[in-house]
Amino acid sequence: MLQLFRTQPMWRRHELKDRYDVVIIGAGVHGLATAYYLGKLGVKNVAVLDRGYLGGGNSGRNTAILRANYRTAEAIPFYDESLRLYQELSQEVDFNVLFSQIGHLTLAHTDTGVDGLRVRAEANALLDVDSRLIFPDEIQRLVPAMDVSKAAHAPIQAALYHPPGGIIRHDAVVWGYARGADRMGIEIHPHTEVQAIDTDNGQISAVHTSRGRIATNIVVNATSGWCSTVARMVDVDLPIVSHPLQACVTEPLKPFLDKVIVSATLHVYVNQTDRGEVVIGAEIDPYASYNSASTLPTLEMMAAHALELFPVLEEARVLRQWSGICDMTPDFSPIISTVPEVRGFILNVGWGTYGFKAGPAGGKTVAELIVTHKTPTLIEPFGLTRFYDDCLVGEKAAAAVSH
Amino acid sequence: MPANAYPRLLIPEHPTPAGAGDTIASALYAAGWRTFSRSFKYHRPRGLLCGAGQCPNCLMNVDGTPSVRACTEPVRQGMRVQPQNVWPSLKHDLLSIIDRFDWLLPVGFYYKTFIRPRFFWPLAEKFLRRAAGLGEIDTQAEPKGGYEHEYRHTDITVIGGGPAGLTAADEAARLGAQVTLIDEQPELGGHLRFQTRTYADIGEQSGAAGFALAESLREQVSSQPNIDILSSATVFGSYEGGLLGVMQAKRLIHLRTKRVIITTGSHDYPAVFKNNDLPGVMLGSGVRRLLHLYGVQPGTRAVVVCHDETGWSLAVELLNAGIRVAAVVDSRYRPPEAQDSAQQLQQSGVEVLTSYAIQTARGTHHVEGALVVPLDARQRPFPHAGRFLPCDLICLSTDQAPAAALVAQSGGELSYDEALGQTVPQQLPPQVFCAGDVTGIHNLPATLVQGRLAGLRAAHSLRASETSTPDSHVQALQHELDTLEQEYRHQYEPYPQLSHAWANKKQFVCVCEDITHKDLAQGVAEGFDEVETLKRYSTFSMGPCQGRMCATSSARICARYAGSELTTRTTTARPPVTPVSLGVLAGRRHQPEKHTPLHQRHIALGAEMMLLGSWKRPYAYTTPDEEHRAVRERVGLIDVSTLGKLEVRGKDTARLLDKVYTHIFSALRVGRIRYGVMCDDSGIIIDDGTVSRLADDHFFLTTTTGNVEFVEQWLKWWTAGTDLCAHVTSMTGGLAAMNIAGPNARQVLSQLTDTDLSAEAFPYMACRRATVAGVPALLLRIGFVGETGWEIHVPAECGEQVWDAIMTAGAAFQIVPFGVGAQRILRLEKKHVIVGQDTDALSNPLEADMEWVVKFNKDDFIGKRGLQAIQERGRRHKLVGFALRDSGMAEGGQAVVVNGQPAGRVASAAFSPTAGKCVGLAWVPVEVASGTGPLQIRINATLAQADIIDDAFYDPQGERLRS
Repeated sequence: MLQLFRTQPMWRRHELKDRYDVVIIGAGVHGLATAYYLGKLGVKNVAVLDRGYLGGGNSGRNTAILRANYRTAEAIPFYDESLRLYQELSQEVDFNVLFSQIGHLTLAHTDTGVDGLRVRAEANALLDVDSRLIFPDEIQRLVPAMDVSKAAHAPIQAALYHPPGGIIRHDAVVWGYARGADRMGIEIHPHTEVQAIDTDNGQISAVHTSRGRIATNIVVNATSGWCSTVARMVDVDLPIVSHPLQACVTEPLKPFLDKVIVSATLHVYVNQTDRGEVVIGAEIDPYASYNSASTLPTLEMMAAHALELFPVLEEARVLRQWSGICDMTPDFSPIISTVPEVRGFILNVGWGTYGFKAGPAGGKTVAELIVTHKTPTLIEPFGLTRFYDDCLVGEKAAAAVSH
Repeated sequence: MPANAYPRLLIPEHPTPAGAGDTIASALYAAGWRTFSRSFKYHRPRGLLCGAGQCPNCLMNVDGTPSVRACTEPVRQGMRVQPQNVWPSLKHDLLSIIDRFDWLLPVGFYYKTFIRPRFFWPLAEKFLRRAAGLGEIDTQAEPKGGYEHEYRHTDITVIGGGPAGLTAADEAARLGAQVTLIDEQPELGGHLRFQTRTYADIGEQSGAAGFALAESLREQVSSQPNIDILSSATVFGSYEGGLLGVMQAKRLIHLRTKRVIITTGSHDYPAVFKNNDLPGVMLGSGVRRLLHLYGVQPGTRAVVVCHDETGWSLAVELLNAGIRVAAVVDSRYRPPEAQDSAQQLQQSGVEVLTSYAIQTARGTHHVEGALVVPLDARQRPFPHAGRFLPCDLICLSTDQAPAAALVAQSGGELSYDEALGQTVPQQLPPQVFCAGDVTGIHNLPATLVQGRLAGLRAAHSLRASETSTPDSHVQALQHELDTLEQEYRHQYEPYPQLSHAWANKKQFVCVCEDITHKDLAQGVAEGFDEVETLKRYSTFSMGPCQGRMCATSSARICARYAGSELTTRTTTARPPVTPVSLGVLAGRRHQPEKHTPLHQRHIALGAEMMLLGSWKRPYAYTTPDEEHRAVRERVGLIDVSTLGKLEVRGKDTARLLDKVYTHIFSALRVGRIRYGVMCDDSGIIIDDGTVSRLADDHFFLTTTTGNVEFVEQWLKWWTAGTDLCAHVTSMTGGLAAMNIAGPNARQVLSQLTDTDLSAEAFPYMACRRATVAGVPALLLRIGFVGETGWEIHVPAECGEQVWDAIMTAGAAFQIVPFGVGAQRILRLEKKHVIVGQDTDALSNPLEADMEWVVKFNKDDFIGKRGLQAIQERGRRHKLVGFALRDSGMAEGGQAVVVNGQPAGRVASAAFSPTAGKCVGLAWVPVEVASGTGPLQIRINATLAQADIIDDAFYDPQGERLRS
């Protein structure tokens, strides 16, 4: 509370040194969380580089939905750990990240959809994640403003209700980790673009940036949207295709919705922030692209689908539309691992449409990986080699339900 | 004004024609209203500011629609207008107490509070959520609808119907281009509509008053046949490929344009000083609108604050309207002498304070006076030398911002012009042109030349070969413009930025979010030293005005404290430029629902219908159990018209099918049917269906209901670019299909056809053309439900005739129609897989226990490599049949548990009347599938035991099917 009346810089600007123990590329939630947890483990000669400003990539473009009710035994514990870390994050970094644990509903409009939700509900129950199937009466009680009637075009048959899920102030998470890292002496360098990475006999040796060369033996690729271009700097080809994903936000309205609503059938998700804005997101655009310009057809589609769920919103006005670039892997799961061919190159990438949910767990496990030289159990299923061994994670089965 | 003038129904009926042209705000203002809303955070009273729909100050609820801009919304009879975000009333808003405790609410307040203990935040959040938000939606209201979408094409679009736009449109149309002119206002003319001042140096029209000039430009444009005028229309976004999103009332127009001329003008925004948000502080253009568009007296005694002659002429206009002018406060050190207005002000005895600026607006609920201070030669205020000027209206003609968001969205680059103190277009892509105030030059003679040039250049760029205007003419115009621009820049002096961070908190930069100068300064000090991060931290520009009122001020303040050049830019201009309702974006609510040719029969039979994909299908006519029994014991008829139906013809059809299916079809004999599975490259099942060979080069394919478009495209994709001769025709909509099945199916059907249906003449998996009930039909002898049966395909228009004939012929055998409910049980008893239900995005045929459909011994087929890899690494899962041991019921999606962990899932399950218990299909690990123990299925949080059943639950040898 006292910090309310003190003006302290959240982080400082630094000259670039010529050597760091660890260089993290990308000052988003994953990069900064990695830096923060590295600091906690005693590794403090660390630089976090970003070509833009802090949290200017997908950490500032996602719709800030958090949940842990995934489908597979591999993913559930990982995201659950992340959610747990998020619950404690405000106290951890002494900065209120405004986590609204309002509950998360994934809707099913078809029989197959209901079965898909039941798969998740059962797996979640077995792995101690609070998430259960509920039916139209209860859905209507939780979300009075939604059209749960049988008369709807695609009537809602059931929902997977996940009370611990919710939304968070994504920028605050980034700032909280950044401040925490800064206070441990870790340097954050915005507007510092990585142009090349040197290796020496298969071992990372240096990073060339727009502000000069840095010697280092460990580079963490924590970029999003362009992670495969960074990997290519050390001749690593990632099985990733990048697609734009768009979202929009309306003018602030008085509270009418205090649940996160996701419908895979309608390709849309809707929630209302503490500020009163209604945030509406779409599925990824069907084409691969690095172009983050917004498009009109997608905006129209988001509007139409949001109105199918909430016809009362027809006169709510859209204020802003934006897009981010999602790095999609074949199995809708991340790649968090070392790379056999390049020693010292660590991947924390492939975050598709689920990266923000995983920020704390991603950062923490990568930090542990760096310090212990061992892959933590939580991220064992997410190694790069799974694509060569055909050990894909089964999240793609829930493909369309990615938020 | 009586105290009860704040009733819920704000607008009384307007019997007088005087009200016809009014907006809500002008009518209310004329009736004495001064406060229109309460601010977002502090609940401070807010009055009219821009009068042009640009700011958040007059957002009200109109007929249930939240956040309507009252200053641009025309008055209608019986309109219900209510203030929003106030309690209990606009005049006495109890939450305005927050204004007193502002010291508790510094920038980043939320981030720094309610951290410990952890349970505190959820409690605080509940309260904060209630306090947040502006407009209220009526969750009980019926949707009004009435939205529509329209699509248009044009050569040149001119956005903005002010002097620049009108000139540009006129010029381009003269050169033969098809022009679409779009303007937000109901009447063309832009700001000239409310200018009574006269203009010099504008050619023939010199000396004309603004509104008269607007009139003549309007006439010129209206007389051009190739100018299409869209009034009261807003371009809300410029998207790639020359696509403009245009909103006109409830219509969204998708306008594709080859060139775009952006003449969107500029808007005033308030200078930052103490209490600059007080009702009575109004932008100069807003005052002019009230005066000249609506004939409303904006006040009784005014102070005009300005930095150029616009303010002087405004003062004259106020005088002419009978309003006293306390003073004209001009920040310039030595304004040019030769102004007509100067003389008139002098004659009227109006004091002109040059080298002065405003420091404070005084008053509690409304302006009571202005404190102005003299400036030194470097435009810094002399302390303690202020003068207090009593007044009830402060007109700010201090700062302009070009409305350049569309320029940025169209690919133009904006940058901050130090001399003009504005963010202006710098680099333009070849198809984009700008003219008028949007360029940062606010000078009518220059605007008119810019407009002509833009029109000329845009038209020329379309017809590069035939130049109708000599280059010398263009050059002359450009030269003229350069001179005017130089002159303008020479005498331009931006209004000084006097506000100081620590002087007083109530110097508002962002009126939407109640962000003050001090908030921004503190944000920078906390490390948010670039405009993008500062925006996210303080939330400036994120409110309903989308940064119109604050973008430049906040960027300036950010740069000032950060001490950097870099930050003197505004944030990304994302669409939409103007808020657009979800209803307009969504358009008419199209909810396509497909009906089969037999739909009316199902309705007549009282079937319970269900939606499958976009199809309506009968779930059951009676109950699934009853219908199941009828099929197993007698005979049933089901409508299967929703199946995808494709005809593939051409000499290479068999080769194509060999490529896209895992099975071999080149070896299929004419008149025979084979089941086929399609995989993607990695061996994942994407569709299945039957393939019937009607002739050597002619096949008939069925696909799953939801996949027919995909399969059609998939086949065409694999035909394109190869030398395969095969043509795909979708027959889905053209054919009705029904399946007659059951022990008596043959007796029923044979009454209606001459074709020999005996098991010998028409065996299982054979196909024949036949005549059924006088209708040419294709008969497929297949058995999805596990009984003797035929799938009958007939022309859609004959569907009902055939259905009726079968039902009549079957009456003696007590035939029943059956629906999807019974079909699901019937097929499950036969362990027949439904792709998409039993398989998902990770299922391959090897693990789905359909190894027999994969022919590795044929040449390459799609998915071969992937399937070989799976073969090599060994199977990990298997789709198995199971039967519950006890009386429980399993459901799709339930977990198969191994050692307490989810290891598999139930794909489908149903109570089988034949087996007398619940049977189903489940994905399980191979170890479990080959093991001896029972399956553990989690049902209602307890583990139920199930046996793996290798054979079909019903008629495992297929005898009934073949009989």
